[in-house]
Amino acid sequence: MNSHSHDGFDLKTGPGSGSSEAETTLRVIAGLPAPEGLEQRVNASLRHAPRSTSVLHWPAGQRSSWMQNTWARTAAAAAIVFVVAGGGWEVYSRVQPAQPSSAIALPPVATHRGFSSANAMRTPRTLNGTVLTHPLPDTAAEKRPTDGAKKPLKKTAAKPVAP
Amino acid sequence: MSASQSVFAGWMEIAPSAVEDEARQQVEEEALEALVGQYASTLYRVAFSILRNPSDAEDAVQEAFLRVLRHRDTLGEIRDHRVWLIRIVWNIVLDRKRRAKTRPETDDVAELARVLPAEGLSAEQRAAAAQHHAHVLSCVDRLPKKEREVMVLSAFEELTSVEIASVLGITESSVRSRLFRARNLMGSLLQHSRSLR
Repeated sequence: MNSHSHDGFDLKTGPGSGSSEAETTLRVIAGLPAPEGLEQRVNASLRHAPRSTSVLHWPAGQRSSWMQNTWARTAAAAAIVFVVAGGGWEVYSRVQPAQPSSAIALPPVATHRGFSSANAMRTPRTLNGTVLTHPLPDTAAEKRPTDGAKKPLKKTAAKPVAP
Repeated sequence: MSASQSVFAGWMEIAPSAVEDEARQQVEEEALEALVGQYASTLYRVAFSILRNPSDAEDAVQEAFLRVLRHRDTLGEIRDHRVWLIRIVWNIVLDRKRRAKTRPETDDVAELARVLPAEGLSAEQRAAAAQHHAHVLSCVDRLPKKEREVMVLSAFEELTSVEIASVLGITESSVRSRLFRARNLMGSLLQHSRSLR
């Protein structure tokens, strides 16, 4: 059974004399017989140990009676589905979701102190784009030389005129 | 049976029938009892070689078989039950030894003399042998953990180097190199202790 000396290295006999003493002692310890009745005691402890590792132990007596009937299990499953679905529908039908309001209520502005807006509606200037009240003079054409020499044009941004 | 009935029946199938369950349990019990009868003695000796306390070793064996009971579903997948069980009890005893941090009971020479076989020995010879073994065991305990483990397991005649490697979760070449170092260390430790006497 042992395969200790098949490749020239014996596991059971050491190279030194000191180690052989240790291995003899360890072999004596390893060869000590087991106490009487060990197997019986182990078997007894196994018989008293809990057999099931499940979290919820289903009773065997109940399991073998009506739960083995397919029709009964089908009816139980249908009843569970009916109760859960009915309860959900009842809750849904009683609790209606709140309708979103179409107007935003602004908080009242205290007008009794300081300046008031006189109910004027402020319109952002950039809402419809910049409105020019006067046409821009053609300054580029005036500055253009007559001899045809090209100069790099400067970009002149049109100044917006306040309305 | 309609399709919905078969779906519900399959969904609600919690466990096999009680008769099958009892028969399966009976088979498992018999298999476990066979394992206990076959390997309890080996497991005890492995546990005792580390713990060196008879009651602790027996507790370790019982705990090992309780673990087997908990994982009895995987028994069919185990290739070598002996090595598997030795590995379980080995882990248990190492864990217990790590937690206990106490000296083994057999460090007491009188207790060792009581445990060791003494056929044909006088009381004086028995005491001298026990003292010698206790001294050697104290030197074994001074070995590094890896070397000590290999040396203890190699003392079991029924364990090959491959099986020792499987128990320890290392390669066979590691077993051999560790055993070589352990023997050298043991030689120097025993020589050093003799020179001090």
